[in-house]
Amino acid sequence: MAPPGLLLLAVVAPALTGLATLFLPRVAVTPRVLLAAAGPAFAFVLVLSHLGAYGVAGHGEPDTHGARIHHTAASPTAAAEGLDAHHPAPVRLASPPAGTDSIAWVPDLDLNLAFLADGLGGFFALLVAGIGVLIVLYARGYFGGATDQARADLYRFYPTLGFFASAMLGVVLADYTLLTLVFWELTSISSFLLIGWNRYDKPALKLAKQAFFTTGLGGMFLLGGIGLLGHHTGHWRWSELLHHAAELDWAAGTLRCAFLLMFVGAASKSAQWPLHFWLPGAMAAPTPVSAYLHSATMVKAGVFLVGRMLPLFVLPGEGVGLTIWPGLITWLGAVTMLYGGVTAVNQHDLKRIFAYTTVSQLGLLMTMYGLAGFGFVYGGKAYAAAIDLDITQIANHAFYKAPLFITAGAIGHYLSRSLPDLHGAFYKFPAICATMLLAGYALAAGPGTVSFQAKELFLYAVYHAADGHPWLWIILAMTVATAACNVAIFVRLLTTLLGLPGSMGKGKADDGHQDHHADADDHHHAHEPEPGLGGALIWLPAVPLVALQYVGGLAPGVWDRLFGGFERFGYYFDHGVPSLLYALTHPGVPLYASGLAIVLGVLLGLSGLLRGQHTDVHDVIYPAVESGTVGLGRGLFELLQNGSLRVYLTVVLLTLTACLGVAAWQDPGMVAPVAAEAARAFELPLGAMVGALVVVTALLLPVFSSRIVRVLILGSCGFTVVAMYVVYRAPDLALTQLMVEIIGVLLFVLVLRLLPEPPASERGRPVGRVWRAAVGAAVGLALGWITLVCAHAEPAALLGEWFSQYSYHGPALYDAAGEKVGYARGGGGKNVVNVILVDFRGFDTLGEISVLGLAALGVWSMLPGRRRELSRDTATEATLS
Amino acid sequence: MTFVMAVCVAACVGVSVYLLLGRDLKGVAMGVFLLGHGANLSIMAMSGSPVLPHDKGLSPSNLKAAPVLGKHVPDPALAGMVDPLPQALVLTAIVIGFAVMGFLLTLLIITNRSTGTLVVDRLADEPVCTTRTDTRSEPFQPAGALS
Repeated sequence: MAPPGLLLLAVVAPALTGLATLFLPRVAVTPRVLLAAAGPAFAFVLVLSHLGAYGVAGHGEPDTHGARIHHTAASPTAAAEGLDAHHPAPVRLASPPAGTDSIAWVPDLDLNLAFLADGLGGFFALLVAGIGVLIVLYARGYFGGATDQARADLYRFYPTLGFFASAMLGVVLADYTLLTLVFWELTSISSFLLIGWNRYDKPALKLAKQAFFTTGLGGMFLLGGIGLLGHHTGHWRWSELLHHAAELDWAAGTLRCAFLLMFVGAASKSAQWPLHFWLPGAMAAPTPVSAYLHSATMVKAGVFLVGRMLPLFVLPGEGVGLTIWPGLITWLGAVTMLYGGVTAVNQHDLKRIFAYTTVSQLGLLMTMYGLAGFGFVYGGKAYAAAIDLDITQIANHAFYKAPLFITAGAIGHYLSRSLPDLHGAFYKFPAICATMLLAGYALAAGPGTVSFQAKELFLYAVYHAADGHPWLWIILAMTVATAACNVAIFVRLLTTLLGLPGSMGKGKADDGHQDHHADADDHHHAHEPEPGLGGALIWLPAVPLVALQYVGGLAPGVWDRLFGGFERFGYYFDHGVPSLLYALTHPGVPLYASGLAIVLGVLLGLSGLLRGQHTDVHDVIYPAVESGTVGLGRGLFELLQNGSLRVYLTVVLLTLTACLGVAAWQDPGMVAPVAAEAARAFELPLGAMVGALVVVTALLLPVFSSRIVRVLILGSCGFTVVAMYVVYRAPDLALTQLMVEIIGVLLFVLVLRLLPEPPASERGRPVGRVWRAAVGAAVGLALGWITLVCAHAEPAALLGEWFSQYSYHGPALYDAAGEKVGYARGGGGKNVVNVILVDFRGFDTLGEISVLGLAALGVWSMLPGRRRELSRDTATEATLS
Repeated sequence: MTFVMAVCVAACVGVSVYLLLGRDLKGVAMGVFLLGHGANLSIMAMSGSPVLPHDKGLSPSNLKAAPVLGKHVPDPALAGMVDPLPQALVLTAIVIGFAVMGFLLTLLIITNRSTGTLVVDRLADEPVCTTRTDTRSEPFQPAGALS
């Protein structure tokens, strides 16, 4: 096992350097940028070092690698030997990946620091760190560096960005499932901070909240799924789970629920329909954030999670796995893909266009992982899963979408983000527009970019899977439609930026509400281009990413050397990304589909169709849910917390009574004592008489309304209680109660003289009285019943015996010979109750005395200052009455 | 005997709840005292019946002994003595109940003085009485604020 140090350092590096930038003076812009960029760069190097030292987990040692080559070379022979030669496991994956050693964090929760740098995690980590460096540089160009405002923005931006980068690295590298969850939530929080960047922009804050709650809710689902999975399998590490994947019980409902919960989490994070609405809304963020979080990294977390779960829930080649996997993921992804594509064409704001194409592309990636659940037979050869080179697909999207956002931010900075306003912009800002068009060409999956091959790979997967499952042809058609939409977007970008005919010219469509979204970005208004490198940084970071697109498209060998080591699945294309020449010289349904998509896309792009500003109907979901929740909460609050103490009291007491009722219903032990005790009710006639007196005096109390009579009745009730204490052989109690009662009655009479008699109208309506009497009767019976049941069991008997025994002195002590030598230590008093109070429970009595003292202090502090007033009032009342 | 006790508890608590739910604060205060009686009796009932088990208990002479050790200190006849622990607890409760009673009555006076009413419903709406000439009583001052 590899040590976790390098990866741990890589995860925390961006956050640490981000925090370190806070200690630089505000004017030092260049050091700030360099320091902030050092974090992700350092992380990139550390992840590379780890991969170099310990290899990509699960991809085997060099000798296994050789075997892989051998296997690949031998495949034609194998095909010749037996037509049904089977690809049992992914050719590129030697064994389930092994995680690093763990550093104990919360071992009791199975939450420790261990990392898993397999093909998927390692690649994602490099992607996050690498694009992170570029985004740090881009932020410098985007915010500027000359003005005070820009410096303040950068001062605040880099720590938040570093926080996010660390969280994201944690998500993709964590080996413990719960650690993944922790980082997952951290990405939600940091994303919230970044979307609501402009703290004074109310709509942006609302959208940030929307994104936070949507993805946060998904995080709750993920927590449920992870907990269920860990509880069911007993494994809390991804690497362990993958090792034991074959032992899972696929028919178990628990496993299915765990998968479904985790998938909802992934779908909300990766903006799958119908939860995609938060992603276009999140475009209220500054463009560096959109380019980083909402195109290349954070929204991919859901895709990453599904990719992580794929070898766990679907065992390619073994013919087992969750049966709901292929259908659910494939179809949900396909719907998202098509909806995103069609909506994207129908937008004017560049960022919204690219946001919806991101939604569309995320749907495609999901579909890709869904298709892995289908095996297929092609050319007489059986393949385990219809998935090839998933890393290439993911890299492809990141390498054109981030540049598109970067250049969209740049052009919006100088001119406008609304496409109709950009007529002929190419001639004003050739470098920016050229970069955008090159990236847009990749969006359209034009030949020459790796995007083209990626789309071919996807089409092949659909085509092969459709061989055995005819309904997948629908997905092929949806893919063609989506691809056509992407081509149309490129065509419109091209014609508009170059000012060609068919463009989205000025005034063709009114700039309606949609440009409000563009205005939400405070950089909307035109800026003068900043000279020098600082200004160029607003588009330069897009260049290396776009360049990778064309490297992959024109020289797949180089691409495969760069990224082939991370690939996990290669069934049909097990030798790597096919070259353009290979693709063009091996025509088939997928190539025809691509051609059809391009033709349709060009036609759509030049036509007048879908040029409006479509409003996403799903945008109402979140506001409706939010206002509904808030309204419901307010209603409930007003219902329950209405400010009336009597209502609270009634609710509490009736709940108590209801609980007792349920207990009595369930437990016959609650009922049996009643009859037994009732039979012994009159064992002591004197006691029964005293009891009757207590009951009668208590019940008389509400009958009279004159206050003096009531006080006297209350007093007589107290005196009968004293008698009851006598019956119960409690002389101390009787004496104390007697004194208290006498003083109490006197006090009451004194005080009541000072208080007004309420007017007759305030005495309560008869209906109210019946209601109060009913509640009182219910609660009284309940407490009486509790008393009866408890006393029947005589719970304190043992304790009482102990106290009696140790009251004067303890039990006799004997020596070895059996001679009595003395007594154990006791309380030294003959009145057991007194001994308990002052000795065994001395601190309790101290507390009692404190309460008495506090009450006396309270009375004293309230009253003496008013003695004169009191006497005056008494005099007034006396004269009045 | 426990049954009698349970009935007493039921009566005391029932009436006290009836009073507590009323509008008049004086009634509420009485309800609190009555609730104290109910609770004390309930705890007392926990010591079991004071009647000696083997006796029919027709007269007071057949009751258990009070928890006071007699001449035969070394080996008290424990079986014939009532349980002392509930008594100790109730003794504490009586004293504290008395303290609360004094405090509550003082609060009643202060409340009446500063708001002019003791009807619960009107306390919420009633503006704090400021018509008095005494400057110290203008806004209601919590306990301890005056010295």
